[in-house]
Amino acid sequence: MQLRSLYHSERFLKIIFGLSLFIVLVMGGLAYKYIKELSESFEEVQEAYQLHIELEKLLSALKDAESGKRAFIISKDSTFLEPLLLGGIEVENSLKELKSLTIDSPEQQKNIAELEIKIENSLNIFEKTLQLAQSNEIESTEFITAFREGRQTMNSVRFKIMEMTTHENQVLGTKKEKSSKSLSNAPMLVYYVLIISLLILLLTYLQISKNLKNLKEKNELLETFKESTTQSEIISKHGNWIWHIEDNSFEYSDNLYRLLGEAPQSFEPTLENFIAFTHPDDLDKLTEQVNKMMENEDLPFIHYRIIQKNGTVKHFKAYGKVLMDSEGDRKLLGTTADITDEIENYRLIEERNLELERNNKELASFNYVASHDLQEPLRKIQTFISRLEDKEQDNLSSNGKVYIGRIKSSSARMRSLIDDLLQFSRTNKSEEAFEDSNINILLETAKHDLAEIISDKRARISSDSIPSMKIIPFQIKQLFLNLISNSLKYSRENIAPVITIRYSQVKASDLTNVKYSKHNLYHAICVKDNGIGFDQEYAEKIFILFNRLHNKNEYSGTGIGLSICKKIVENHNGYITAEGKPDYGSTFTFYLPVTS
Amino acid sequence: MKEDYTYVVLADDDEDDRLFFSEAFDELKMQTKVDIYKDGVALMLALNKSDSILPNILFLDLNMPMKSGLECLKEIKTNQRFKDIAIAIYSTSASEEDIEDTFVNGANIYIKKPNNFNTLKKILSDVVTMNWQYHTNGLNKDNFLLRL
Repeated sequence: MQLRSLYHSERFLKIIFGLSLFIVLVMGGLAYKYIKELSESFEEVQEAYQLHIELEKLLSALKDAESGKRAFIISKDSTFLEPLLLGGIEVENSLKELKSLTIDSPEQQKNIAELEIKIENSLNIFEKTLQLAQSNEIESTEFITAFREGRQTMNSVRFKIMEMTTHENQVLGTKKEKSSKSLSNAPMLVYYVLIISLLILLLTYLQISKNLKNLKEKNELLETFKESTTQSEIISKHGNWIWHIEDNSFEYSDNLYRLLGEAPQSFEPTLENFIAFTHPDDLDKLTEQVNKMMENEDLPFIHYRIIQKNGTVKHFKAYGKVLMDSEGDRKLLGTTADITDEIENYRLIEERNLELERNNKELASFNYVASHDLQEPLRKIQTFISRLEDKEQDNLSSNGKVYIGRIKSSSARMRSLIDDLLQFSRTNKSEEAFEDSNINILLETAKHDLAEIISDKRARISSDSIPSMKIIPFQIKQLFLNLISNSLKYSRENIAPVITIRYSQVKASDLTNVKYSKHNLYHAICVKDNGIGFDQEYAEKIFILFNRLHNKNEYSGTGIGLSICKKIVENHNGYITAEGKPDYGSTFTFYLPVTS
Repeated sequence: MKEDYTYVVLADDDEDDRLFFSEAFDELKMQTKVDIYKDGVALMLALNKSDSILPNILFLDLNMPMKSGLECLKEIKTNQRFKDIAIAIYSTSASEEDIEDTFVNGANIYIKKPNNFNTLKKILSDVVTMNWQYHTNGLNKDNFLLRL
């Protein structure tokens, strides 16, 4: 998200820069144009001024000639004619100058041509009057006519010059108007350019400083990240490396050196230097994988061993992934982990597993011995006793009959011990055996199996409806069977047993003796009787194998039944508790987790 | 061809059990003819004779030297000639594996050797008088093991 905004701001900067460049160029061009116009109009003014001066010069030269002529006529002193001669040259120069000045203006050229004719005319008359004056014919009418004519032409010349001056003034006036507009616009424009440039500069500065701040924050984040990566590398025993594919160079993290048993950055990070550590047996495998990596630019999970310089063998696991950086260069990011401990642990576990398997096999063969080999002689003893009782009853003395009776009860007890032990050892947990079952039906089957004693003892059994659960059916039936027969067995003399089976759901947090439970809710099934009960101090002990609270002559029992119950409940990840009060009754409650 | 007696054969390596078995039939006084073999090898040798009379019911002990009851069962079930023999497994153990294995291999009933002679007599008389056709049609894992 932030990276995205940074990218956007970079684009924004580019746009601003382009726009400002454009604006400054446009305004600069405009300013150049105005200033050029200004200097042009200045030149024009200067030209008009010069024209003015030349016209003035011309007029004054003509005037000088005129006044010289008049003075000569009056005084006959020929020195007055000097300005006359000079005036002729001056007039000629002035005209030349005027022509060159007005080269751009056809109108003025036309005026100058007219002026030239007029001046020539005037000079001719001038010459004529001068000749008449020299020959002293001043009084003649010819002279007077020429003199008047001279004055007239002189006036027309003066008029023409005035006309030209006026025209030039007019031209100058329009130009002045135009240039004054330029003159007032130019500073405004320069000012605007400055303001806009400043604004753009300000905006750009703000944006850049924002980006810089952003960048700084990201830099700090990166720095933190780098530090935590270093830490995690050390803790989790892994090292990172980068292969720059384009220029085929490598970078190793510090911890990778440590994993190799070397000081960080103590040798050049090249492939050859790394491979030098590889265990000779794994060398082929690793080089093959590395070659594949070079070809496909991909490194799948590989497992190999290295040997540190001090001879310690370590197990490494490596994985790599190609990344493309912003400049389009590809690099393979690799992670190498030291899995020596895992491997060792795995080996240890495997050894233990083998040992367990061996033990289990021994137990299984013990089971077989118990179930088959021990039962067989016992069965025969019992059968032979039944034969003796049937066929030889009459041949036995009363003592002999008693002894036969004792043998019979002992062998019966041995049988129930063997049967119970077998039951106990067969009460195993296997996941496949779990199935959704109707608990009520299992309870009924258990009651059915005990129907004979129940009716003998006139016992009353009542039970709640229990929801279905995912359990091992035959074990839960066995559990009910054991608990109910326990209640029936330890009933008080002359009091009909009353057994109540209650169901409820409890939270794990409400179970005081349950710690670190994986489950939140438990089914609680409670089997309560009005039997002989027991002292609460034995509540834990009664679940221990072969533990009995009563003499075997008083109550038959092998001390295995409740151990089987505990084992069954534990197979179901549950708990069983017992509460008792002597001569009052006992309550067994088992808790099975509520599974979804 | 219906004989007027039931021909019963037992294969058991245990001398005492063979004794109980024959004494039980003696006392039962049923219309039976009983032959007893001391192991699986002897049994199969007798059965495989081309002129042998085939038993109606064959009792097979499981744990026998050289050729076990299970091996005999498998062999009998592969031979079409023996298809009408009802096979009762007769063993000390009643382990789940044994029951499962013999059921899968086509035995008709599983009897756990009793520890009382009178019970034995009752079992044998029940098995001999059993309607095998009816029993075999409705055979499942629950009624496979004979319970008394």
